[in-house]
This record gives sequence, structure tokens and C-alpha cells, in this order.
Amino acid sequence: MKSRSFLLALLIIALASLVPVVFRGNDYVLNLFVVAGVYAIVVMGLGILLGFAGQLSLAQAAFFGIGAYTSAFLTTRVSWNFWEALPVAVLASALVALAVGYPSLRQLSGHYLALATIGFGIIAQLVLINWKAFSNGSDGITGIPAPAIGSYTFDSYGAYFYIVLAFVVLTAYITARLKATRVGRAMHAIRENEMAANAMGIDATKYKILAFVLAGAYAGLAGSLLAHSIKFISPDSYSFDQSVVFLVMLILGGSSSIGGAILGAVILTFLPEVLRPLKNSYIMVYGAAVIAMIIFMPQGLAGLFGVLKRRFARA
Amino acid sequence: MPFDPVANVQLLINGLAIGSIYALVALGFVLIYNAVGVVNFAQGDFVMLPSYVAISFLVPQVAVFGTMMHWQLPVIVAYAVVLVLMVGFGLLFNLIAYHPLRDRGWMPVVISTIGVSIFLRNFAQLTWGSQPLGFPSLFSAETIDFSGLHVRPQDILIIAVTAVLIAFQYFLFERTSLGKQMRATAQDRTTARLLGIRVSRIVAITFVYSVLLGTISGFLVSPIFSVTKEMGGLIALKAFAASIVGGFGSIPGAIIGGLAIGVVETFGGFYVSAAYTDAIAFVILIAVLLFRPQGLFGERVAEKA
Repeated sequence: MKSRSFLLALLIIALASLVPVVFRGNDYVLNLFVVAGVYAIVVMGLGILLGFAGQLSLAQAAFFGIGAYTSAFLTTRVSWNFWEALPVAVLASALVALAVGYPSLRQLSGHYLALATIGFGIIAQLVLINWKAFSNGSDGITGIPAPAIGSYTFDSYGAYFYIVLAFVVLTAYITARLKATRVGRAMHAIRENEMAANAMGIDATKYKILAFVLAGAYAGLAGSLLAHSIKFISPDSYSFDQSVVFLVMLILGGSSSIGGAILGAVILTFLPEVLRPLKNSYIMVYGAAVIAMIIFMPQGLAGLFGVLKRRFARA
Repeated sequence: MPFDPVANVQLLINGLAIGSIYALVALGFVLIYNAVGVVNFAQGDFVMLPSYVAISFLVPQVAVFGTMMHWQLPVIVAYAVVLVLMVGFGLLFNLIAYHPLRDRGWMPVVISTIGVSIFLRNFAQLTWGSQPLGFPSLFSAETIDFSGLHVRPQDILIIAVTAVLIAFQYFLFERTSLGKQMRATAQDRTTARLLGIRVSRIVAITFVYSVLLGTISGFLVSPIFSVTKEMGGLIALKAFAASIVGGFGSIPGAIIGGLAIGVVETFGGFYVSAAYTDAIAFVILIAVLLFRPQGLFGERVAEKA
């Protein structure tokens, strides 16, 4: 079983690495794949928080924005390169997540935590709009450079996709390892029953804060990655609505499944594009689809596949 | 800046007016939360949708699906028609977004209300277009002067209607059988069911009541802000903040929290920073969550996840 999921992962990576070849010249589709990969990283991070540790954040767009802006600021104003800026962007998001998570998670859980994170997300977006010295206000930051290795610049969407793919694989690996370790099991215990976990000697608050910081770091990494692909960022991309989209991606995929998180991100990135022939009504259909999915697929796509697999095994 | 008593009274009235709107919407949140244990993320759209529907009946130039409508009903008739339509909407909302998920914990319901919100906002855009629409006021826009004090009649109307609604709510909950059943359901559903209360019906009524509170808030606030598909979003988020500040689950808390947030943000926007007006509610929210999570009137400390 273990080796089978390893082989499946290899197969998926192999197929994914063919994407720039298959869609060569089709920048529209390649850009969507880049975006989907970036979102998958955010959603995996949210999966650690919600799926593993059972805590809900509606501020992931804010951490996504902090990563994007840190990276954009360092590369356009301080003329660092991408590889120097990226780790700092991750660190900045993680530190802000620590500053927000440390006081909040000692006090709050459930709805209350969700509401506190909404408050933080809105404040963060207002700061991005108004702190012009750092963010250039509503005009946003333009001319964010593409990453380079030696003399090769990852300028095209096809080339950039490989960078994103590498980070998706890296974060998926870290997440899978985490799930299998003592830390992952401690988080799982907290999700199932926090009081019992505490009684077993697990420092629940510590692990919840760790999950929150990891989710922030993943979002920061993703934010930086997307900023260097689209090369222009502005505060309206980092709204509460975007945080909601990340949550819906996770729930659709199945909140404690890594494959589910990635699949949820990919499907919901492409779904609006597929529905585009419906013209203006496509987002409406998207909303209705979210309701239908939550009613009819309780465990998300990961759960649906589980059911299908069992059915086939029986037949 | 020299202290100007007249200006401060004016700010206070503005703050109480917008705070009344937050209070009504917060009340809608709290009633649903008490009845079913879930925060409804479509609460803001309970304000937006009826405002658009009312506009279609009131304003001759408004196009519905790109077609000009010439209903132009008298205001009172239009309001009544919209209220009746929204009763239907409340029942439908309960039937689709809550009822199928009622035994699955709070997260799926939260997601489905988010789905409803996405649906409604884009339904509104498709039906009424993306331009902000002006909503006719019952009064002229001119202010009334009391010895140098300029007061918008709409502000007074908002405060007065809110006071009447709160009195009605008190009467409903304390004096009628229906209100007592609603309170019993909120307190303990299992026991309420054992006592012969039809819990599903009470829950449906709670949703309808919450929608109607949103509808009336929409009638009251739309003449001040213009009607857009996003209009409910920020109002709802601040009403959230208000209900936490007051103590989540507490009805007087929601009302006082709403008024307090309205007043503080109006003064803050004037004296501290206009750019950060919208952040003030959330700064208060986070401060309250960290230092007094049970809120001003709440009893429960942080909920069990």
C-alpha cells in the first residue's frame, strides 16, 4: 500500500511535468496551471491547520499577501533576487502567523478563532492599501522580476511551472512526512478530542500554534511564487473572499487528504474557466456547485474516491 | 482641534444610526447561532437581496435582466411585497442550505452558507447589473436643523425603527408562546423536542425572522449607501464583530455591541483616521477576543471546537 501511493505520486509528478510540453504556446492554460499549483500549496497548509489540527482560519489570503508583498518589495526596491527574497517572504508570513496565532490560539477555537482570523485578514488588507511606503497602496507593485538561475530566466509560464511544481512536490512531501510523525499524530489527537489529548500529555496549544504558523508559511511561500509569475500585485487580490476560496478548495478536496487538497485547488482553479461559456452566470453556478458538493460529498473528493475504490474492490 | 459639542452630538447620531444597522444584522446572526449553533455567512446577503428586490418595485429606471420594469408601486405596498417574498426566501434558505446538513456539525453548514452567499451576489449582479443603484428615501435628503445641529431624517428613522424592532423582539420572546418556543429551542434542542416543541419548524421560523431583520435593515440603510452586490459583506462582518463584542449568543449583547461599534468607528473615523475606519471594528473585535473572550455580556468562555 505504502509503495503503491509512492508510485501513484511519482506518476502524478511525471504527468504534471508534461503539462508545459502538452500545452506549449498556450499561455492562458499554462498560467492557470501555475495558479493552481500555487493555490495547492496554500490549501495544503490550510489542510495542516484544519484537517490535521481541526482549527479554522479565514485569513489565509492575508498570509498569501504578506508573502507576495515581502517578496515584491525586496526584489523591486532593495534589488534582491528571487532566491534571496523567497525564504524571507516565507519567514515574514510565518512570523506574522506566530504573532497572530500565539495570543489567539491560547484563547480561542472553533467559530471564535475563525472570526478573529477574519478580523485580522481585513486589517491586513487595509494595511496593504494604506501603507504606501511598503505596498505602493492601491496601485500595487509592478515589474516584479522573474527568477533566474545563472543566465537562464524563468520568464515563460512553461518554465515557471517547473519551479511551482518543485515547490508543490516539496511541500506535499513535508506535509506527508508531518502527518506520519509524532507531531502529526498529536495534531490528529487534538482534532478528535482536545481534552483527551491534553490528558495524554500533548501540549495542545503548542501544536495548534505550530499548525497555524505552518499554514501561514505555506501561504507566504505561495504568495511569493505567484507574485514572481504574474509580476504585478495589488491589495484587492488578498481579500476575505480569497480566503474563502482557499477554504472551499480544501473542503471540496477533503480536508485531511494531501491529494485532496491539491485536487481541490486544481479543480476550483479550472472550474470557473470551464464554466466561462455560461458567460455572466458562471460564478452563480459555482456557488450552487459548492452547496451541492457539501451536501452530496461529505468527505470531499478524497472521500468520494474512497467510496468508489471500495465499490470496485467488492465487484 | 477644539472640542465642538455640536459636532460631537452629530457624530453620535451618525454612529448610533449605523450602529443600529449593525445591531439588527447582529441580532439576525445571534438568533440563528442560538437556534442551530452555526454562524451564517450569508447574513449580509439577507440585507443586499431585499434591497435589490425593493428597488425593482420602486424605481422606474431600474432594469431587471436588462428589461425596464415600470412597476413603481407605492412605497408601503412595495415594502410589504418584498417582506412577503423574503419569507419565502427564508424558508427556501433553511430548506437548502441548512436542513440537509443539520446533523453534520457546524463546518459543512458554514461552507453551504458561503456557497449561498457566492450564489446570491452573482445572481444580483446578473439580474440588476453591476452599477451601484440609488435607493429612494422616504424623506428628502436635506438635513433638519436644530440650533446648528444638522440631522439627517434617515438617521432618526433608522434609530426609531430599530428601537421599535427591539421592543417587538422583547415582546415576542418574553410574552408569546412562539417566542418562548424559540428560546427553548435555542437553549436545548433535545429537551425542547421532548417537551413537544416542533424544533424543525421553530428553526425554519428563526431563519425567516432573521431574513426579515436583514430585509428591514436593507430598507433602512440603502438610502444612505447605494445598493451593490457587495453592500452586505462589510455590514455583516462588522455585525459579526458586534455580536462577539457584546458576547456571542447574547441578544442584549448584540444590540449594545452593534451600537458601540457604530459609535466608536464613527468617532474613530473622524478623529483618528478616515482610511482605517473599516479596521476599527476589527481591532475592537480582536482586543475583546483576547482580553475578554466572553464579550461584554457573554457567560460562556471560548467554545469547545
